[in-house]
Amino acid sequence: MKVVNCEGLVKKYGRSKALNDLSFQISENKITGLIGRNGAGKTTLLKIMAGFQKQTSGEIKVFNEHPYNSLFASANSILVDDQMAFPIALNLGEVLEAAASFYPKWDGRLARRLFDYFSFRNNQRHSELSKGMKSTFNIIVGLASRCSLTMFDEPTTGMDASVRKDFYRALLKDYIANPRTIIISSHHLEEMEDLLEDILLLKDGEKILHLTVSDLKEYAIGVKGNANALLEWLDDKEVLYKKEIGTSVIYAVIENVYSEKIRQDASKFGFELLPVSSNDICIYLTGKEKGGIDDVFK
Amino acid sequence: MILNTDGTKPIYVQIAEWLETEILNGNFLQDQKVYSQYQLAEIFNINPATAAKGLTLLVEDDVLYKKRGLGMFVTEAAQAIILTKRREHTLKRLVTELVSEAEQLNVGMDELLEMVRKESKQSKGE
Repeated sequence: MKVVNCEGLVKKYGRSKALNDLSFQISENKITGLIGRNGAGKTTLLKIMAGFQKQTSGEIKVFNEHPYNSLFASANSILVDDQMAFPIALNLGEVLEAAASFYPKWDGRLARRLFDYFSFRNNQRHSELSKGMKSTFNIIVGLASRCSLTMFDEPTTGMDASVRKDFYRALLKDYIANPRTIIISSHHLEEMEDLLEDILLLKDGEKILHLTVSDLKEYAIGVKGNANALLEWLDDKEVLYKKEIGTSVIYAVIENVYSEKIRQDASKFGFELLPVSSNDICIYLTGKEKGGIDDVFK
Repeated sequence: MILNTDGTKPIYVQIAEWLETEILNGNFLQDQKVYSQYQLAEIFNINPATAAKGLTLLVEDDVLYKKRGLGMFVTEAAQAIILTKRREHTLKRLVTELVSEAEQLNVGMDELLEMVRKESKQSKGE
């Protein structure tokens, strides 16, 4: 079953397009990472899926319904982000009690246990919490809601390294016990890629890739070797990234197509083949055309 | 075991190799049930789909067999298959690297063999 079905989705803010002709599907019970640079359209997409905003054109279905103004979609999905608003009249303990009436699958026991583990107190107010504590409280609500579609937008903002680690572990354990569709946007791909099954990579509101994490790892390969020989060899290849190391050596990242041929050529010309991390692949694929930060200082 | 996440080897391959080592060490015997994808996911903090891919790899190599609804079990030939695989791939690759490094350093074949013998003696504690 497809939980999210998106066809030619466009969202404009004034004249600028935040999402541009975006089409993809997300199947049930997968953890998908939504990856992209700042301003790639991740938050806009999540807000449309959660029904907070309406698309400008195109089609989106969540649980086979238009999410905007849909009570069914709203009861079965949750978007955890740093703009989550809780009633200011309620303290944290009361917020957890009230949340039970909003989400049919709410797990009060899990919420309580996480609440105590992260040392929250009932009489605290959400507005008084530090940035990292706010994020932590929000993910407790997100996990305990057990929504069939659970979305996290940069959930780890402000959290220290040990809380981030706890969050990833809690997410995985709860997912194994209660499989559901989870979408997480994050800048920390290297931290959470092992938790993900799929990756949806956005750039300027468009889809660059949508594949499994293991396929992403094999998508590109690094080649290091003598500058002249390597440059000539790269001529007919799709080069994602290129960097000079000293004067006579070049490191390049290319698409890993016909990998057997690449392997043979590498041993023939004496190039070194190196694996590329998923995080680096995403950075290269979403990079700006006009070189990198080094060019600013030229 | 702590997974190596710097991307040198896909996680599912590392999972498969870890299970192979467990079988070689006798922690799983013939016809014994191995960890499920969910147990592996929990142990290594990885997505269950990735763990499943590692298990599938071992089924394809006839190290494990599947009983519908019951899980994955160690085959009769598992030990032999793993040993052959490690000899043919891992050891051969290491030897290739060793020989090419020796050539670059102008270390002759006799000298290299002597080094190998010496190392073997030392590790046996002679």
